Amino acid sequence: MNSANTASKTDWLTYICRACGLLYKEEDGDPDSGLAPGTRFEDIPEDWFCPLCGVTKADFVLYVVLDKKQFTKNQSADPTNFSRSNYSDVLIIGAGKAGWEVAKAIRAQSDDLSISIVTGCNGELYEKPQLSNALLKKIQMDRIVLQTGEQAAKQLGVKLFASTHAVHISHHNQQLRTTKGVFKYKYLVIAHGAKPIRHPLLSAQDCWHVNHLSTYRELRKTLDGKKSQIAIIGAGLIGCELANDLALAGHQIALLDAAQRPLAHLIPEAASEALMKSWQALNIQFYGEQQIEQMSHLDGKKVLSMQSGLSLKVDEIVLCMGLQPDSSLAKSAGIEWNQGISVDPQTLKTNVENIFALGDCISVDGKVSRYIEPILRQAQVIANQIAGDQSIVFTTNTLPIRIKTSSLPMRLEGVIERQGEWRISKAKAEQFNSKWQMAQWSKNQVSALLDLG
Amino acid sequence: MELILEQPAEQLSGNAKRIEILEKVKSIAQKDLALVVDACDQEGFYPEAVLKALGAAGAFGAHLGLDQEDMDFGLAISCMEEVSRVCGATGFVVWCHDVCGVYMQASKNPALTGEALQKHAKGITLGGTGMSNPMKTFSGIETMMLKAKKVEGGYLVSGTLPWVSHIGLKHYFGTVCAVLNEQTGEVDPDHQIMFILPCDREGVTLKDCPSFSAMEGTSTYGLHLKDVLITTDDLVADPAKPFIKNIKASFILLQTGMGLGVAQGAIDSMWEVESQLGKVNQFLEDRPVALQHELDDLRNRIMVLAKTPYESSDEYVLKVLDVRAHASEIALRAAQSALLHQGARGYLLSSAVQRRVRESHFVAIVTPALKHLRYEMAKLKGQHFLN
Repeated sequence: MNSANTASKTDWLTYICRACGLLYKEEDGDPDSGLAPGTRFEDIPEDWFCPLCGVTKADFVLYVVLDKKQFTKNQSADPTNFSRSNYSDVLIIGAGKAGWEVAKAIRAQSDDLSISIVTGCNGELYEKPQLSNALLKKIQMDRIVLQTGEQAAKQLGVKLFASTHAVHISHHNQQLRTTKGVFKYKYLVIAHGAKPIRHPLLSAQDCWHVNHLSTYRELRKTLDGKKSQIAIIGAGLIGCELANDLALAGHQIALLDAAQRPLAHLIPEAASEALMKSWQALNIQFYGEQQIEQMSHLDGKKVLSMQSGLSLKVDEIVLCMGLQPDSSLAKSAGIEWNQGISVDPQTLKTNVENIFALGDCISVDGKVSRYIEPILRQAQVIANQIAGDQSIVFTTNTLPIRIKTSSLPMRLEGVIERQGEWRISKAKAEQFNSKWQMAQWSKNQVSALLDLG
Repeated sequence: MELILEQPAEQLSGNAKRIEILEKVKSIAQKDLALVVDACDQEGFYPEAVLKALGAAGAFGAHLGLDQEDMDFGLAISCMEEVSRVCGATGFVVWCHDVCGVYMQASKNPALTGEALQKHAKGITLGGTGMSNPMKTFSGIETMMLKAKKVEGGYLVSGTLPWVSHIGLKHYFGTVCAVLNEQTGEVDPDHQIMFILPCDREGVTLKDCPSFSAMEGTSTYGLHLKDVLITTDDLVADPAKPFIKNIKASFILLQTGMGLGVAQGAIDSMWEVESQLGKVNQFLEDRPVALQHELDDLRNRIMVLAKTPYESSDEYVLKVLDVRAHASEIALRAAQSALLHQGARGYLLSSAVQRRVRESHFVAIVTPALKHLRYEMAKLKGQHFLN
């Protein structure tokens, strides 16, 4: 035994060539290139090169032996790690409300159909409307998640492929191309939702949105335990509800919109005024007719400069400018597009055979819907269609909209006509500060009703 | 949908000149290259004469659009497909040379454009590419193997690239290296340079590589650089990062020609035995008609993307990554299926069918490999998913 071998045998190290993967084992050395067994890596001359590919000593790194048992243990905890069978009777894209509801409805119809869901997220089940009023309802973050994706998949007997992004539909071969390989299907259901509309002057790093649980969770974590100044861009339903919710949690809110008043597209001026009045008790300041000119950083804060000359220095910016579905996937399959995936109003079939769509990504007669209720009925219709049952068809109802601003809750029912005229219903006018009602008249008929308070 | 069984010359739209170039390339591939393909694969023969002929026919200049012609990436890809259909290794060499032309042209460096680029486009001079390590470094998968020290009049570059394809003593190639910070001597994470290096430059040593499963005959060497002087005349980009971002999509898109050709060659081999073995081959998956439909679809997607090779929007890059991934997948499946279709005759060492299986593996592992493409797509999609 030579002197180099006298070191404890357990100390021998192995180094790997970064280029070709050749292993240099100190114990064995490399006699062919003049390194005796037991030559320590640090004792190898600098001009030595890899006997296989010729790179130099500097391109070797310490080889860490993988603990296969531990690795396998960790992997088996990840239920998405099953081997990928690439065919499903039904393949669903998206694991939001729409994706899960359609999986449930199909499973309720048939135990035999194989169902897979591919989604870019982790598939957690939650109620998205809660993201704009969780604070009001005092819902802790961990209680928002109703079920993990794995739990739901197991319960329904579906395969969930999380962190798997759909890239292209080769419908000719009934294949979905994803970032984790190719999936084949008989029926494809597109339920990938819509994305928040971005402001061209605000980079993704500089502002939040609450369209997804993962970003909402980050926002809550950032705001936790602080009293922050927050600018909310967009005073639609979500913007107003979120302003209300964050203000209740003690944050100071600047709510901005291009329109003159909040909820301008939905409620009459008198109601907007009442809403703004109710916000006086909260820390919400509404700024109407505002256009962003630029955003800059100053002392760790964000400065929003508006074209009106207004300048706001805030800790956080939240975008609530509405949603828009991404057309690229649908277009890759030649699916007709009209503000969203154009579906048959009754069957929710797209123009491409065996492809259905539902939820935020679709449009019915060019109209989109961003509400939860139709999704449940849409899921049912698709499940029945796939089962060959044509008896149930989808109908677009106009449902009451609840505006969950706690300072002045509202409920809107009916169809708002552009030409209609809003009047305060006399019977309730006297109770101006508690509950009252407005009605929209169009062609001598009440077309919509708004309950306030 | 009508099958395009004699791809791709008949399908090419456009002027007679394009069709003429492609017909010439097809003829060189099916006659001259076919004669030496076994020598390339089994003896490492480098088909220089074939490459010169391809260059003279116009195979290497289409995407550069010199002499007031329009850039025609589609034609360049189709030429590469025709070559790869016969020999995947030579198809790869065509890509190496084509993409080297992209570096030279996009450099806007007078020393690398003008006459140098004219000669390159005609295959009078030949060049390769050593971008695997830099590309993986920019994707955060590796670290840069070449390092440069700034000196008077340029940079001194040292380090080792284990295998660079399509080089030789008379060749040149494009690569990127890290630049060391002048004060600290450490690698500056924000500074890389890209350059074209003639292989006969002082300080450059070419070393033989170990044998690969396929891709012999591609004139691939290990490359040792010791204080090699890089001057302004050699520079493609300084800093290199924004340049790489601009050419990345064209770099990847051009590679699809290899995948299309290997897959098309495999489908050709299936047809060869159909009249004899069709009776039993019908029990196999990935039959020639289905594969041809899929390949035609893919080729159509590629040709649309080839119209705007320098677009840099995320949406475009995502599509390019996906067609490149699809080209790998279909090459793998078609080559595998062709072997099953041909059976023992395809398993002979002299058969193109077993060679193509090995070539298809290369299409799927050469940078960016299938796994890297998916990783890059997931990064792009993930970033949009949350925003």
